[in-house]
Amino acid sequence: MQDQRVPPGARDRFEALYLACYPPVYRYALRRTESADDVADVIAETFLIAWRRLDDVPDGEGAVLWLYATARRVLANHRRGQSRRTALAARLRDELSAAPPATAPDPRVDAVRDAFTALAPGDREVLALACWEGLSGPQIATVLGCSGAAARLRLHRARKRLARLLGTAGEFRTTTALREESR
Amino acid sequence: MNRIDRIVAAVDPAAAAAEPVVSRGVRELLGEIVATAPQRPPLWKRALPSKRRGRVTAVVAATAALAAAAAIGVGLPAGGPLTRYANAAMSVERTGDAFSVTVLDPTADRRRFEDAFRAVGLDVRVAMIPVPPDEVGVLFGPVVPEGFRWHGTTGIRRTTPCASAFCGTVWMPADFPGRMVFGVGRAAGPGEPYAEVDAFDPAGEEALSDYSFRGRTVAASRAELRRRGLGVGYRLVWTYPHGGFADEPVPAGRVGNDWVVSGSRMHSSDVVDLYVTPGPGAGPAPDPTETDRSRPHWYDIQ
Repeated sequence: MQDQRVPPGARDRFEALYLACYPPVYRYALRRTESADDVADVIAETFLIAWRRLDDVPDGEGAVLWLYATARRVLANHRRGQSRRTALAARLRDELSAAPPATAPDPRVDAVRDAFTALAPGDREVLALACWEGLSGPQIATVLGCSGAAARLRLHRARKRLARLLGTAGEFRTTTALREESR
Repeated sequence: MNRIDRIVAAVDPAAAAAEPVVSRGVRELLGEIVATAPQRPPLWKRALPSKRRGRVTAVVAATAALAAAAAIGVGLPAGGPLTRYANAAMSVERTGDAFSVTVLDPTADRRRFEDAFRAVGLDVRVAMIPVPPDEVGVLFGPVVPEGFRWHGTTGIRRTTPCASAFCGTVWMPADFPGRMVFGVGRAAGPGEPYAEVDAFDPAGEEALSDYSFRGRTVAASRAELRRRGLGVGYRLVWTYPHGGFADEPVPAGRVGNDWVVSGSRMHSSDVVDLYVTPGPGAGPAPDPTETDRSRPHWYDIQ
């Protein structure tokens, strides 16, 4: 039965948004959580908010940036223990739990990962948005809710701090090897 | 991409993960989401004039605090406040009597929000109020708890699109000498009651998207909620001869099983309040001023 309170076209628009943006939101959550349960929770809560605030979700490229910004807040709540497990996504949780581990241990990668983890959360996030989500400075600014100049400055400083950590840790050989591996 | 970017890309935790596919679980989640409560008008819209605003006002006109919820203002202290200010919590930019506000971090300490308002000349108090997940970061108010009695108008208008938790414009007469209160939505904890930022709409408001309590008996509604593992609260919806209405929180013992439910609202993440039309023996309608005075208000949260 058609829910009379759903605006005309809202369901179709949300379904298109969901199917188009599920992969990037999944990867965003996967990169920033420790368990399949958390990934499923972040995905479910992020899209639930998008459904309830569909008028706020911009069209086009802005949609995924809006979802990233929303997922970022959802994650912040999770980390502060202010969210509980959602009742949604039970099957998705099972599917994600059944997926094999993503990576095999590699001491060179682990060394870089340690340096990355040693960064402040703000530095990690701006680097991740640039290097994992592949966002430009203005796009990062949209996700973080700051100016483009501030985003570029934060990115520049985060790169410098990571370079310093890697340099002082004597990881130049590691980073060179990684650079070659990543083409 | 520079050297550091390539290094970071090489430790991408998702790099080795399989490309996500639209599996049964993904489809099922989509179905679950669209089966939940559909999009609700944002609270700032619900607080603005509407068909029910007149009725609300009719009842609460004598209640200074609630009357104040629709209007407020602040003065600008001498000494040259900034026209633009931002910290990690929010940014504020003043243009005349209008202030463009962006909530950047809904989890920030309330004092950071107050600092931002104060920097542009607004003497305000900010209350962090418990709300459902989709209203986290929303700015509520402004309110003068003792009542707004000044010239001009005040209000808040949300702007979209907005990549932050909330974007909007607040306006008020610059010479208002009192102190206003804003609310910033924070995620309510499990079982924590949501702040009541507007009156229940007796014309129909439902907590669940796939079930309507309106027109059902209290007994049937209670059974349905228990079947879903949800708790039950009760509000009697009183109407008054001059056309106004008010709701009164009551214990289960004051509600008849065969009384009729007019609507429902989420009280917290696991409790639904049933709004019930008083049946025989419900007693006289309470003084709406007293009913309002006896319940907590979001703007009283410290």
